[in-house]
This record gives sequence, structure tokens and C-alpha cells, in this order.
Amino acid sequence: MKSILGGLGRKKLPDYITDNISEDLIRLEDLVKVYDTGALKVLGLKRINLTIHRGEFVAIMGQSGSGKSTLMNILGCLDRPSMGHYYLDGVDVAAMDSDELSLIRNRKIGFVFQSFNLISRTSALKNVELPMTYARKNKKLREERARQLLARVGLGKRAEHMPNELSGGQRQRVAIARALANEPPLLLADEPTGNLDTAASVEIMELFSQLHKEGTTVVVVTHEEEIAAFTERIIRFRDGEVLSDSPNVPREPRGRDSAPDAEEGIELRDT
Amino acid sequence: MLIENMLMAFSSIRANKMRSFLTMLGIIIGIGSVISIVSVGDTMKGLFEELYRNIGITQAYIAIGYWVDDWRESDYFSLEEMERIKEIFGDEITYIDTDAQTSADAYCARTTVQFNYTGIDYNYQEVQPINLIYGRFLNEGDVLGRRKNVVMDTVSAMNLFGVENAVGKTFRTTIYGTTDDYTVVGIYRKEMNPFQAMMMGANTEGGEAFLPYTILSWPNDFIYDLRFFCRDEETMDELCANIKSYVARSKDRQPEDFQMVTAKEQMGQWNSMLGGLSMAVGGIAAISLLVGGIGIMNIMLVSVTERTREIGIRKSLGAKTRDIMVQFLTESAILSACGGILGILLGGGLVTAGGMLMGVQTVIRPEVVVLAVGFSAVVGVFFGLYPASKAAKKDPIEALRYE
Repeated sequence: MKSILGGLGRKKLPDYITDNISEDLIRLEDLVKVYDTGALKVLGLKRINLTIHRGEFVAIMGQSGSGKSTLMNILGCLDRPSMGHYYLDGVDVAAMDSDELSLIRNRKIGFVFQSFNLISRTSALKNVELPMTYARKNKKLREERARQLLARVGLGKRAEHMPNELSGGQRQRVAIARALANEPPLLLADEPTGNLDTAASVEIMELFSQLHKEGTTVVVVTHEEEIAAFTERIIRFRDGEVLSDSPNVPREPRGRDSAPDAEEGIELRDT
Repeated sequence: MLIENMLMAFSSIRANKMRSFLTMLGIIIGIGSVISIVSVGDTMKGLFEELYRNIGITQAYIAIGYWVDDWRESDYFSLEEMERIKEIFGDEITYIDTDAQTSADAYCARTTVQFNYTGIDYNYQEVQPINLIYGRFLNEGDVLGRRKNVVMDTVSAMNLFGVENAVGKTFRTTIYGTTDDYTVVGIYRKEMNPFQAMMMGANTEGGEAFLPYTILSWPNDFIYDLRFFCRDEETMDELCANIKSYVARSKDRQPEDFQMVTAKEQMGQWNSMLGGLSMAVGGIAAISLLVGGIGIMNIMLVSVTERTREIGIRKSLGAKTRDIMVQFLTESAILSACGGILGILLGGGLVTAGGMLMGVQTVIRPEVVVLAVGFSAVVGVFFGLYPASKAAKKDPIEALRYE
């Protein structure tokens, strides 16, 4: 039984997992996504060409329906493009099967979701351990690293808490710790502050900034200008196409009193 | 990973205690009834075996076949013939008598008790352990001298004389038309469990006594059958066949004209009948396991739907199809195996309690227990396959979007 279940742990990992091949962490070439709803075909993404280098801090922006969620799913290897190429860390993942994509997600990508997506009735510690469990890391190592990660996001003392015993900001920090578990080169955050109040949002974005400074590539999908303002590059989407792609001078982390200003800022930009 | 999966399964079973219990109920009842039916069968087998060991497993009777049409006088046995058989097969036969029994009223003072008399040889005690508590057993002198001495059990003594220790007391009885006074020389105690009492008939009102077979069988009597005990259980079949052909030859008959009944053979018949019966009824009970399995499949399907989002999260974190599959299979197998264990406790408990009520030592074979738990886990895996594959095939994006 054990050999069946644990077999992968001993098997040599494919080269595309073990080797860091490319300085371009993400390269999209003529990427197209078509949704076939039966009656009509909807173009989700229209020939996207995009490169994100290792160590960048990028915001992907757009209204709902702009294609940013579709892109997010493809970048996260949850979905496959209809046409074109997606090179993640130098490897074309466009044609991989679902188990290969699972392996890619496990080792190369850390997800942070809007609704946290922690597993209920499972302690913060166990949640953080989960990606390492699927990577067949041994128990001692898993727990040690999970505790380190929780301490790093400021939740060292809450390791045994259940998700429903934590505040929204704390839950999101657990999720970030979990995303970092297998040291993925890419951190992918989908509206990470969408369910948080302003103070917690700022905390989370500051945490991303810090992770970025430590060398992690962070891609944040958002529709809030204030959130995008933390990043160094803003890519705007509309109708499945890149509208603009420009560098951004990241906003200096400020205190909590900065919140009202930021809201004004969004109104100005939206009009 | 296996341990992780088991811990996860237990925590999810614990999270829905009532639901898990109701789901298990089918398996609990199924395994419980299989265990108790098989155990009742095994216990009965054991009781029959004990019964036959008590009356002597090597005991055998030989007589002319009831199916033979042209009975002749020579088909009957005589004491002379019995002596000859004893001489020829003496090494392999430990005991032989004429299987003589009769019943008559016994009188003592104003008490009358109906007695069953069994005629035996003096070495009967060697083949049938008798728990003699007062006096002595019949001896060679009693048999050769046709002395009117008897050995009876405590209950018979109480019924006839009003005391257990009736050694030395006499009573009057009429055997084959001759009325005489008989003397009690020994008293024994009968020990029977309720099952034996049921099968052999407990003596509560009447009387039973052993007396020398020479009182019941006389040299010119036509003796219908001979009863003997073999020395060795293993070789008794061969010995019986030899005796049969010897008897047939001496009476100018074919061996198949004689019937030979042995305790070993009868016990074997009981065993195979009980075995077949408990197999059949147990098989029917096993059908309820199928129903239990369907219950598990049903609840696992509900669980998979409820946990769609969890499946999406796990997949996004790198769980492969097989990881999800194994997780849900583990859960259904554990659910089912827990039901199996509870079912064993239920079945075992019922049987043990019933056995204690009846004063019978019950038998629960460990291999049946292992088989039952194993089978329930197999049921769990089998009926978990469909829900688990449904879970594993979920699209991560859809699953993550599920509310």
C-alpha cells in the first residue's frame, strides 16, 4: 500500500521541476483562450504576448469580463490555453496533462485567493503543511517548515488555531504561508484583499512587498487601483487584450491612516 | 501519506457523527448478523462434537440392514458370536456389548419409579467416563455371576429412595417377566450442560440404571445389534469395514447387507449439515452488507458534493487525481471498516450474551472476524470507487468556484 501511495516520493522528479531554466519566469506567446458554450464561441483571451521576469512585482488589472480571471487561471496552471504557448520557468505547460499540471502547481506556484480557501476543521499548521504533504515531504520537515512560515507571517502563536478562529487578515496570512510552503518561484494572488478591510489589506500588501524584496516573483490580479499601487508594474486588460503595460513606482508602505487617501485616489482614477 | 489520509478520514467522520453512524448502520447490522450466524453455527458444531465425545466418538453399532427383505434367524447375533468378535478384533476393540436396554417399574417402599436399564460389561467405565461418587462400579464378578447389582445416578436415587447416597439399598423390579430384588452398589453424578440435557433428555422424574448385560442377554437370545468402542478414532473406519465383512462372511451375506452406525460418522453429518446451514443463512445476511455498501456510496456522493470546494483547494495546491481518489477511498474504507468492527462487537456481544444465558461456551473464530472486517473494508473501497473517482475528476476551476 505504502509503495503505491508513496511511490512518487522516491521517483525522480522530471527535469522541468528540478531545473530553473529561464530568467523569464512567465512567457506567453500568442496565447488564445476560447470558451465554447455550444451555441457560440467566446474569445476569453486574444493572442496575448507577455513576459514576466523572475523577481518582478506585477499587478494585472481589469474590469470583470476583461479576461484577467481567465489569464489568472491559465497562469496558475488551473486551465489550459486553447492556442499558443505558455512557458513557465522555461517549460511549455500548454500541452501538459492534469497530473503534470498538479505537479507544476505544487512546486512552481503558490496561490493566494480572495476567499482565503483554507480547509476548514484543519489547523493553520496543517493547512500550511498541505502542499508539502502533496510533495511527499516527511512529517518532521513539514511541521518544522510550516511553523517557520507561520512565524514569518506573524502567526507563530496561532499555529494550532482552526481557520474559523482567525480573523480575515490572519486567514489570508495563513494562506500566504501555505503558498510559500514549497518555495515556489511564482506567487499568484487573485484579489487577495477583496474580502478584507482596509487595514488588513494594507498589511497583506506590505507582506507581498516584503516577499518581493526577498526575491519572490509576485503577480497580483486585482481591480483596485490602491492595491495595484503597491506593485512595480501594472498590466491592464480589457476585452481579452492587453490595454497597457507600464512600470509603476510602488507606493511606500504607510501607516493605517493612509486608507481614506487611497479611496479618494481610486475615485479619481476611475472617472 | 496513508496516515495523513487516515487522520483526515477520521476527522471527517467525526465531524458528522450522526450521519457517519447511520451510514455505518447497514454495515454494522450486516457484519453483526453474519458474525452471529456463523458463530451460532460454530457453537452448535462444538456442542455436537462435545456431545459425541461424551457418548464416545468411537462408539459403533452393527446390525442387519433394515433394507434387507429376507431376514433369517442367523442374521441375529448370539453371545457366542460376540465373544468370537471380541477375540478376533480384541486388540482394536476396547469394549463390546449387546446394546441391551429395557424399562420397568422399580418399587421401594411406597415409591414407584419407571426405570430404564442398560446392560453393560464391567469395563464400560474405561470407555465411558462415569463420575462415581458413592460405592463402586459393576465388576467382573457381577457380570459373570449375573448378580442383581445396579449402578444409578443421583437423580434416579433421589427419585426412588429420597437420598443421593443409596448404596446398599434394594428395590424390586420385574425384568423379562422375572421379579427380583436388586441392590444398589454405586451412585454416580451426571454432568450435562443445558444443550446436552436438551439433546439427550434430562432425567428428572424417572430412573436410569446400569446392570450387568448378562441379566438382559442370555446365551440363546437373538440379539439384534452389537455395540462396540474402537481403540483409535483415526483407524476406526477401516476397523468397522473389517468387522462388517467378517460378520457378513460368517452369516453368508454381503457386507452391504449390514448397517454400521458410528458416532464419528453421525457427528460428521451434523457438522456438514450445520456448516452448510450457517453458510447459507450467513450468505443471505451478507446481502445486507451490499445494502450497507450502497448506503456508503450514497453518503460519499453527498460528501463529495459538499466538499467540492475543498477538492478544488487541494487540487490547486498540487493534489493529483490519485491523491484525491485515495483520500476519498480511504474515507469510505474506514467508514465501512469501523462499521465492520462495531458489527463484530454487536454480533459477538449478542452471541456471548445468548451463550451465557443458555450456559453454553460460544465459539467466535478469529478468522471469521478478520474476514468480516476485511470484507467490510472491501465493500467500502468498492462502493467508494465511484464517488472517489467523481471527486478526483472534478475540474479545479469549477470546484474552486463552488459555493
